[in-house]
Amino acid sequence: MDPTLLTVAEASRAIAGGQLSPVALTEAYLDRIGALDGELHGYVLVLQDAARAAARDIAAGRSRGALQGIPIGLKDIYKTRGIRTTAGSRRYLDHIPDEDAESWVRLRDAGAILLGKQETHEFAIGGPDFSLPFPPARNPWNTEHYPAGSSSGSAVAVAAGLCAAAMGSDTGGSIRGPAAYNGIVGLKPTYGRVSRRGVFPLSYTLDHCGPLTRTVEDCAILMQALAAYDPLDPGSADVPVPDYRAALGMRLDGLTIGVIRHFHERDAEAAFGPDSAPSAAYVSAFDNACRTLESLGARLVDLQLSPLVDYLDANRLIMLAEAYALHETDFRERPHLFGHHMFARIALGAFLSAADYVEAVRQRRELALEFAHAIAEIDAVVSANSTGPAPRIDAVSTYSTFERASYTGPYNLTGSPALSVPIGFENGLPLAFQIAGKPFDEAGVMRVGHAFEQATELHRQRPPIAASLPQHQ
Amino acid sequence: MMSEQPMSKERFIVLVERAGLTLTPEQFEELRHGYRFVERMVRTVRRPRDRAAEPAHIFVHPRG
Repeated sequence: MDPTLLTVAEASRAIAGGQLSPVALTEAYLDRIGALDGELHGYVLVLQDAARAAARDIAAGRSRGALQGIPIGLKDIYKTRGIRTTAGSRRYLDHIPDEDAESWVRLRDAGAILLGKQETHEFAIGGPDFSLPFPPARNPWNTEHYPAGSSSGSAVAVAAGLCAAAMGSDTGGSIRGPAAYNGIVGLKPTYGRVSRRGVFPLSYTLDHCGPLTRTVEDCAILMQALAAYDPLDPGSADVPVPDYRAALGMRLDGLTIGVIRHFHERDAEAAFGPDSAPSAAYVSAFDNACRTLESLGARLVDLQLSPLVDYLDANRLIMLAEAYALHETDFRERPHLFGHHMFARIALGAFLSAADYVEAVRQRRELALEFAHAIAEIDAVVSANSTGPAPRIDAVSTYSTFERASYTGPYNLTGSPALSVPIGFENGLPLAFQIAGKPFDEAGVMRVGHAFEQATELHRQRPPIAASLPQHQ
Repeated sequence: MMSEQPMSKERFIVLVERAGLTLTPEQFEELRHGYRFVERMVRTVRRPRDRAAEPAHIFVHPRG
């Protein structure tokens, strides 16, 4: 039996029950990485010896929890003590941190094993860039296609069975976009729910750290280990952590779910042009997903918010200003160290004024209040994610981040928890939508996501490349 | 919708010099065209507001 086919929940039970060894599971994942990652480029550094040693230690030691012996990957912006962390950039090509990211510490303390560091867009913004030291990750559903970013390698590795779960980061959609294009689950938690300490920042007030997994239950398991108050992260929230799995498996009777249709049905094309209009297949998949939620007992109501562009441009402007401020010295003194996409995108922040930034942050408060009022009597919100299949990787332009509509940025702006869940396929490539909620209600968001997932069985569909290797069949 | 014409080279040089950037000719042209996105974003967020409309990041006392 191929243990890499098991979800985190399944593998955890098998390890706890003695039917599966962490050593065997780790070895099976390393076999798959060796066989497939040369084509997929999900990893920039594979820690074979360290992973094997960690697996032996875990197997010999006391149980630490639900992640006991579970092999995971980290986006290569998560600092790992003594282990190269590049942020996908020549600027940090030989950087060896002297600290561990706090979220990695929490996963490790829960028993997780680190398989390696995963490909990222440069500084979580600049990709897919073929001029960088590390080749861009490839979509496992069709390797000629884009896996989205910036948590590209992490999403690819989860989808292709090169790790059981992974950590990404999300400033405008960099967990949820890759989750959508790779047919997996991705959660951007509430701002402040998961520590950002020890993770290369892109934008201080928009960055979120979160998991990429094959199922919503797996996401809940990782969140149980991740969620905590970190007094050394200025943005960390001192809010109690619930049992994230308690509500999984419940129907949605009695829940009211708000549906934001105008973002994708009207606003995207109105602001960004016909290329941003959703595909007919996406509209159909989204509508079917809403009907599935109703069949599970939820009452759906339409929500009206400000236009999508109001949310997106405030998010993007804040990101540009904060990201440029972070990198300004290097942009002026050593611009040759940046890849093309990183430079072209973040340099635009140099042309913003302080007043521009303040106006964007004033708009942020207005929109966050608008959203909070809109969902005050609602249990969860659904809205679109990428409204068409992944494009070809060679067709992603330098300014694709700004010239087209996206649907993920609003929840970075509001700081709301937002979960990407698969809803179907188009031309053999995955489609997804988002489920969002009130601050710190990840449990409620995952309840809805889990119910939907279990009703559709889409989580059982995996790319052909994820099939078992011959030695594990 | 975005303005179709990028800023003139003469005007964009002023922005580049003020930003202290040293650009290759290719970078200059790419940023000059990309600046249209910045112009759109700024148009979106610059709107009349009551002076009492505060930004989202008010000062918060650090925890000791």
